Amino acid sequence: MPLDYPVVRHTLANGLRVVVSPDHSIPTVTVNLWVNVGSRHEVPGRTGFAHLFEHLMFQGSRNVASGDHFALLMAAGGRLNATTWFDRTNYFETLPTGALDLALWLEADRHGHLLDAVNQANLDNQRDVVKEEKRQRYDNVPYGNALRDLYATVFPEDHPYHHPTIGSMADLDAATVEDVHAFFRAHYGPDNTVLSLVGDITPEDAIARVDRFFGDLPAIGHVARPTLPQLAPLTEPERHTVVGAVPNDRLYLGFRLPVERDPQFLAAALAIEALAGLSMSRMVRRLVRGEQSATSVQGHTMGFVDGVSLGLLAIDVAEGVDPDRVEEAVLEELRGFATRGATDAELEAALAGAERGWLSDLAAQDQRADALSHQALLHDDPDYVNRFLDDLSAVTAEEVAAAAQAWLAPGSRGVVAYLTGEEDVA
Amino acid sequence: MTSAAQHDGAEAPGTAGETRPPVTPPGRWTFPEPATSRLANGLSVLAYDIPGQYVLSVRVVVPLSTRAEPRDREGVATLMARLLDEGTEAHSTDEFTELLERRGIDFGAGLSEAGLTVHVEVPKRNLGAALDLVHEALATPSFPDREVGRLVRTRLAEIEQERASAPHRAMREFAATYFDPAERASRPTAGTVETVSGLTRADVVAFHATHVAPNASTVVIAGDLAGVDVAAAVADSLGGWAPGPVPVAEPSRSAARAAADARRIVLVDRPGSVQSEMIVGCAGPDRHVDPTWSAYSVVSFVVGGSPNARVDAVLREDKGYTYGMRSAFRPRRAGGLFLTTGSVRTEVTVEALDLLLGILADARDGFTAVECTNGVDFLRNTAPSRYATADAVADEAAGLVLDGLPSTFTTSNLDAMATLTPEALTAAYDRFVDGRWTVIVVGDAGAYADRVRALGRGPVSVVAN
Repeated sequence: MPLDYPVVRHTLANGLRVVVSPDHSIPTVTVNLWVNVGSRHEVPGRTGFAHLFEHLMFQGSRNVASGDHFALLMAAGGRLNATTWFDRTNYFETLPTGALDLALWLEADRHGHLLDAVNQANLDNQRDVVKEEKRQRYDNVPYGNALRDLYATVFPEDHPYHHPTIGSMADLDAATVEDVHAFFRAHYGPDNTVLSLVGDITPEDAIARVDRFFGDLPAIGHVARPTLPQLAPLTEPERHTVVGAVPNDRLYLGFRLPVERDPQFLAAALAIEALAGLSMSRMVRRLVRGEQSATSVQGHTMGFVDGVSLGLLAIDVAEGVDPDRVEEAVLEELRGFATRGATDAELEAALAGAERGWLSDLAAQDQRADALSHQALLHDDPDYVNRFLDDLSAVTAEEVAAAAQAWLAPGSRGVVAYLTGEEDVA
Repeated sequence: MTSAAQHDGAEAPGTAGETRPPVTPPGRWTFPEPATSRLANGLSVLAYDIPGQYVLSVRVVVPLSTRAEPRDREGVATLMARLLDEGTEAHSTDEFTELLERRGIDFGAGLSEAGLTVHVEVPKRNLGAALDLVHEALATPSFPDREVGRLVRTRLAEIEQERASAPHRAMREFAATYFDPAERASRPTAGTVETVSGLTRADVVAFHATHVAPNASTVVIAGDLAGVDVAAAVADSLGGWAPGPVPVAEPSRSAARAAADARRIVLVDRPGSVQSEMIVGCAGPDRHVDPTWSAYSVVSFVVGGSPNARVDAVLREDKGYTYGMRSAFRPRRAGGLFLTTGSVRTEVTVEALDLLLGILADARDGFTAVECTNGVDFLRNTAPSRYATADAVADEAAGLVLDGLPSTFTTSNLDAMATLTPEALTAAYDRFVDGRWTVIVVGDAGAYADRVRALGRGPVSVVAN
């Protein structure tokens, strides 16, 4: 079923890529910017910096006082935020159409003229806030650092995805105002940014408004380094065990996968869904409802662009069950899947679930804008939001089995085991 | 495709500059009105047509009170809810799961203090199949013995996971401290180790037979309903749900009472914790309050609803003590709470708590006109996007049903907001906030217990995690 969300593209003279998708169902518009910088661009000793920098984007710019970005947009009926991930940083607000100029003005001011307002006090304050974010979301949470450990287990030490977006306390402490200036100059500019508008606007008017507010920002002459070559699967299992204060034993199995637009990526994602992502997935059926050796099994795929993606399984081991036995059962299922492939029912359910999920993702203007920016910035192809489901449903059972053979072999797993016990680290 | 930009009427690049553009205020907006009907078995039907929403959201609300659970069987209602899609008289667990997932149907069921809610997301073309399966799950669940035992063990594991999670642990301690111990609300909705461990299939079957019936229940269907005969689809499915033998009583609208010694400080000790998770709370209203719930929505925003709100302006943006704390009035079906929640690093626990209590006390002196206007404008003007999806509309509609409010409530509440004054906000706040709090801190109590006592903010006790 081809989707038909309108997608209009335009590039300003300074290189800013603009995507517009009119939707007049409600009198609001979403402004969504993706900047082509994330934790994968960070240098040793400055992990977590892209995210810390994102916080500083709310602390004032040439014509905007600290805190006013939030205050002005919220008073105008805007909902807004920003997030940082491996491959990008995004900034977004959804607001009544009559406040669009205000949003574009505020975004242009900080994306063009942030450094006028950056100072040591702002940096120190937001460094403290980010350190509390790290404690709240990772350090003070059971299993909170498991994904950090999984990235480090599955990806090589010098790889851009080896470290998590939140970074380390030591590196956050080391960040300086000079770093902020250098980072802004290197990465923030119209020719390294996509701006999407979705909502109650026409393409002509939207593009004219964006040009009015962003047209005078100078290009920074950004030249992206070529992405890294595809990483091959691990050639032997890697393992990291943490023993400590967790409520139950939990296993994470990670696998290197093809990059997000590789033809095998979707097949690998469907394989993980069929194996572990559904209630009827064979691992759930066997471990949770059959043997009852696990209380939950989950499967996820994270698509990246820089030489590798990540597939992962997470298994909560039932009380009193040997985690090694559970892991062996998981490996048996991986071997069986690679040999015989998905059943028709598993594949049908994986596709049906993905269709519902994708349509739900596009149901709100703000998420639709985010999807357009994603495909425009990372793949120069925003219209892919309309084609994704067609690509997914074209994947054959043979391709799913082949992807599992190539990428989900037991010998290619990286395991992070969080086990109950007294010691801190074994 | 790339369009040629038209610049007619627009200023030339470079003229945006220093001048902040004006904002044109939006017009009045209203929450969608449902088409309503009622089936012979008593089930009410609310259909919200939202063009362009191709994943439909279905909620079935069955009013029941967790107060109806036997004291030594608490959690049986939640267990019953979690078992609804684990097999029916016609289909085994695996078969039922396949029937749902091969059609892309996401099925969930949960309990709140006011009722059972089944929630379903389904691509439009499979609505009929989804309603058939919802009917099957509600009317003829088989509660297989094996799955009952499994979900009891899963709940026991979940209790340990919640104990390990600081926000969950704090909320459990808050309920136990704030509510009178005779109240069901003082204990976890999904039950404790003592009450869940012994639950059997017979308990679940009995609870379901007594409390789950269409008589006083409601189905909400939201999404793009063009070309969908909702009345026929519901009649052909849930229309076959047999009414209960006796009219099912509406849960009462009496608020759970606070404990006589609710106003105190409890430190839950987790040695080595790098943060302190806090809850500061007192009584609040439910959404039937007169005058008017709209004031409490705005006060929540002004006190603790954004990085610029009173709490985070100090604790986050000035002091850097927290990633963010939130204050909000949280209505229950009857009565409610006013809670401020969040975490700070261990070293500043006492300073943060003292500052927070001061900020909450200062708010009793009044709110400014700017705060009032900004809060009202934020809540009114974000409404169209907050309620834009089928999922959001269905959630709001189901919440109104659970609380016994009419489907016009959301719009009338937004309209009432437009007339609020700073004095009305202050009066609303002062009506419930008297400066005497139940305070829970989950963290390394040894690092700050003595200094918390020295604050003189009330009796302090320390309990184990």
